[in-house]
Amino acid sequence: MSETNRIGSIRLSGMLPKVFVNEPAGDSQVWKSDVEFRRGEHWLIEAASGAGKSSLCAYIYGTRTDYVGHLMFDSRDAASLSVDEWQSLRRTNIAYLPQELALFPELTALENVRLKACLADGRGDDAILAMMRELGIDSRADYPVGRMSIGQQQRVAIIRTLCQPFDFILLDEPVSHLDETNNRIAASMILREAERQGAGIITTSVGNPLLIDNLRRVRL
Amino acid sequence: MSLINRLLRKNMSPARIAGFVLSNFIGLAIVVAGLQFFQDVRSIYTDEDSFIRKDFLVVNKKVTSANTVDGRPALFTPGEIAGLESQPWVRKVGRFSTVDYRVSASVEAGGRGMSTSMFFESIPSEFIDVAGSGWEYRPGSLEVPVIMSKDYLTLYNFGFASSAGLPQLSEQFMGGIPLRLRITSDDGMRRGEFAGRVVGFSNRLNTILVPEEFMEWSNREFGSGGSRPGPSRLIVDVSSPGDVAIAPYLEEHGMEAAGDKRASQASFLLNVVTGVILAVGVVITVLSFFILLLSVSILMEKNRDKIHTLLMLGYPLGRVASPYRKMILWSCLGAYVLAVAVVYCFRLSYLHELEGLGGGGEWWLAPTVGLLLTLAVVALNVVAVGRRVRAAWRVSR
Repeated sequence: MSETNRIGSIRLSGMLPKVFVNEPAGDSQVWKSDVEFRRGEHWLIEAASGAGKSSLCAYIYGTRTDYVGHLMFDSRDAASLSVDEWQSLRRTNIAYLPQELALFPELTALENVRLKACLADGRGDDAILAMMRELGIDSRADYPVGRMSIGQQQRVAIIRTLCQPFDFILLDEPVSHLDETNNRIAASMILREAERQGAGIITTSVGNPLLIDNLRRVRL
Repeated sequence: MSLINRLLRKNMSPARIAGFVLSNFIGLAIVVAGLQFFQDVRSIYTDEDSFIRKDFLVVNKKVTSANTVDGRPALFTPGEIAGLESQPWVRKVGRFSTVDYRVSASVEAGGRGMSTSMFFESIPSEFIDVAGSGWEYRPGSLEVPVIMSKDYLTLYNFGFASSAGLPQLSEQFMGGIPLRLRITSDDGMRRGEFAGRVVGFSNRLNTILVPEEFMEWSNREFGSGGSRPGPSRLIVDVSSPGDVAIAPYLEEHGMEAAGDKRASQASFLLNVVTGVILAVGVVITVLSFFILLLSVSILMEKNRDKIHTLLMLGYPLGRVASPYRKMILWSCLGAYVLAVAVVYCFRLSYLHELEGLGGGGEWWLAPTVGLLLTLAVVALNVVAVGRRVRAAWRVSR
């Protein structure tokens, strides 16, 4: 997948985590069905704990492959992507905010974001600091992330996820530790960036969803 | 230092890297020094003869009193030749051919002439290394190339010439003046006169050698044509001149090898000692390779989560591997440069004395071998780093 290639849709066809194969079928609208996420669409995947929400994200981001069925990026089967193609996809097609945030605790907030920005879209410190200001963490920019509260860390991670070109932004419980005000600010920033890039949003939640209007909801 | 280097070099242990550099340095220094010393010393033993290779032995039967009394020459029987050929250390056996006529040679030197009876021998040309130096003979030609024993010239210069008041002759001079060779058949009916041209002097061939083509042609022309007795000398191509089986075999079968055997024994010993030193050096180098492999593995294992997270951000695998690869490259090159520098100084300390003995080889093979070893260590470790990064790609712990 070259740097210029855009992904128009992500399609899940008959997918099921291997651990669920021998369990009785639930009432999931995603597993073992046919779901297609298109660019420009905004989706909320609602799930109870243990329904495989993080697994789904890991499959779409290529960190895990323990599923049956097919995951398609347009006409390309994800199973056929090479490691280098996955890396390119992560830089230019899919932005991912994992639930565990994957920040480097020993680096400062600014350095954590810079690590992604300098790799993917060359956004400068000023732009990053402006985003931090918007989320109220600019005073913590030079603090090591490890010494910040989980809510602050979550905001750093959201900003980092936005600092790259993407066709889809994949957010695994992005606001689980944010109050409603910050939730709304984060939602508007995400929406703004996604619309600027014409990208799709896929977000998950177990009860505290990202506050974006008119989300298409699907139950996992 | 860039962010990514700062992240990935965390947990790096300078002591472990220093341990590697030290052990790799020791291994490389032993290999390079051993090889270089071998190169430098070897020329003392190999600088002996350009006409005949070191692994050719000239073998003759021992002359006993019985030969003197009953007048039978000490010749090789076909059985003895076959026995020699069947030895495992023998690659090839060539026979010396002798003339079947009488020869006298005369030479004009310093306005005075001198004449002597002499003889020729020839050996198959495959045993002689004189490519391109005028060793060819075309049947019928009046000019004959000759290789002489250096001993003859020494005998003449320091024994005969000084006592008889004749001028001494240098090798260059002998090469420049023609020998007049007169050939007479045994019955005195056929005669020929040829110009001998000395193409060189040999330390190891105690004879006067002419090309085999001349030998065959002149024996047909001037020989009596009778059946010829077996050869009195053989030239043997041996696989290793230092082979311990050679001396006892010759002794047992009443043969002896001409020339200095101590040089070949010393050369054999040098080979063995060098082999042992190189083996020790290589073993240490291999062990140091494992130290590096282990150090880098431990470091990468400790940093595995960071590697995984960087890959999650989309960093290319090569970029994540590069801090480790650079570390490997620099520590290996450091050890190499250190080793070569130390060996260079070590060499300076012995080279002067060695050159007095005729030693001193070229200074490039040993450093090149060291460099190749270093590059092998680097390459294997670079590959191992790539595999570890790839392993950290998919699943985090």
